[in-house]
Amino acid sequence: MSMAFRADDGWQGSTASMLGRWAMTAVFIVVLLVLSTFPFKIGHFGEIRPSFMLMAIYYWAIMRPSTLSPIATFIVGIAFDLMGGFPLGLNAMTLLIVQWGTRRQRKFVLGQGFIVLWMGLALVSLGAGLFQWAVYSGFHQNFQMGSLKPVLTSVIMTAVIFPLIVLPLSAFNKSLAERQ
Amino acid sequence: MVSHSPHKSVLQSLPMRTLTTRLTPAVLILLAVTLMVFHKMDALPVEQMRVALTDKMTPVMTAVSSPFVALTDSFDGIATLRQLRAENMQLREENVKLQKWYENALRYQAENQSFRELLNVKADPALTYVTTRVVSDPGGSFVKSVLLPVGTNDRVSKGNAVMSGQGLIGRVTEAGDRSARVLLVTDLNSHIPVTIQNTRTKAILAGKNTDLLKLERLPQDSGLTVGQRVVTSGDGGQLPPDVPIGVIVEVGAEGVFVKPLSEIEKITYVQVINADVDRGLSTGEISTPVDKHSSKRK
Repeated sequence: MSMAFRADDGWQGSTASMLGRWAMTAVFIVVLLVLSTFPFKIGHFGEIRPSFMLMAIYYWAIMRPSTLSPIATFIVGIAFDLMGGFPLGLNAMTLLIVQWGTRRQRKFVLGQGFIVLWMGLALVSLGAGLFQWAVYSGFHQNFQMGSLKPVLTSVIMTAVIFPLIVLPLSAFNKSLAERQ
Repeated sequence: MVSHSPHKSVLQSLPMRTLTTRLTPAVLILLAVTLMVFHKMDALPVEQMRVALTDKMTPVMTAVSSPFVALTDSFDGIATLRQLRAENMQLREENVKLQKWYENALRYQAENQSFRELLNVKADPALTYVTTRVVSDPGGSFVKSVLLPVGTNDRVSKGNAVMSGQGLIGRVTEAGDRSARVLLVTDLNSHIPVTIQNTRTKAILAGKNTDLLKLERLPQDSGLTVGQRVVTSGDGGQLPPDVPIGVIVEVGAEGVFVKPLSEIEKITYVQVINADVDRGLSTGEISTPVDKHSSKRK
């Protein structure tokens, strides 16, 4: 499976269209944030809990880095921390590291096919999951190996669902580009 | 002809903006770490910040999640005719058993009431409850908590016990005007004083971020066996006594483990139990012989 991926250069144009794009992005992020906190309980599968925010931040860091500045990512992370009852700064830190690390590998991934983009997401998701688990356990000074299971399930869900999420993400990128 | 020095310093050639862009993530990551340290030291009003944000976000979350709730419900609704028949049969059998239990319960209720009157027992306050749907389950793989769209406006307050169907699932740890956060019994930070129903042995039931809960601070030779029921002890005055939580499923070298009665991963509707709620409004009332008894005494 090979798909051509082209990145956008960034935001240009009038202040009005810039504000429009800013508002669209803000609404999109709020929806992603809510979806990340919503418990999908499907029949016998139980909970399905992929990390939508991580997918979006990874995708944008490669395809359209200007969509979300590090400051915006920090604010989104803090909001997620507050809403989820996490230690304050945990998601902000994880999302910033994901964004920063992915941007550094951006040029490499851009030249490759979809499979590489997908594999990259799976690796990033695993790294982020283990990092958050370690920091969270350290924060509460309570390391439980058993609690790694839901983390790994979430990592697998994130990787499996990613191709489906790429569609709305790329449609969103297109609509942003059209407004430019 | 203008000549350029070939040995221009890196800082001079790097525009200031690029430098700022490169430094920003590092500065922000450092800021996030600092916030976490302050949170750990309790130097920040994190609880107030959370309550303020969740109060604002709960209506938005309810609105955005409603199409997904419908989707999830429709998945749940799909069941084959065969499954339905089997379930129906099982329910009929259960109903016959429950009718016998109901007869017994009525008898015990009358007996209990007469004993209470004889012994002049000071009754526990009446329990009332507010039923609501879970809006969100935001903690994901780490924090085991749920958000409810009810708050102090609905007389829900910090410390209230929360039940779903068969047993206790957690307690309210933060309550805003329109939202409340429930820390589930499975969370690492959940420690509930409990009693083993038959033996009246007291212990602390601790969450481990896994499906099972662990009994801690058990007295030596407590003689626990698989199948015994664990209920709240009411010690500390936060939770009402005798609310069922789970059943002992494992007694071994690693400890005693309890399986919650409610399927915590699948909860949709919950009841917030409050001993001080005003009757009427949107609340229901659990009618027990204790209620009648206490009102008689007044």
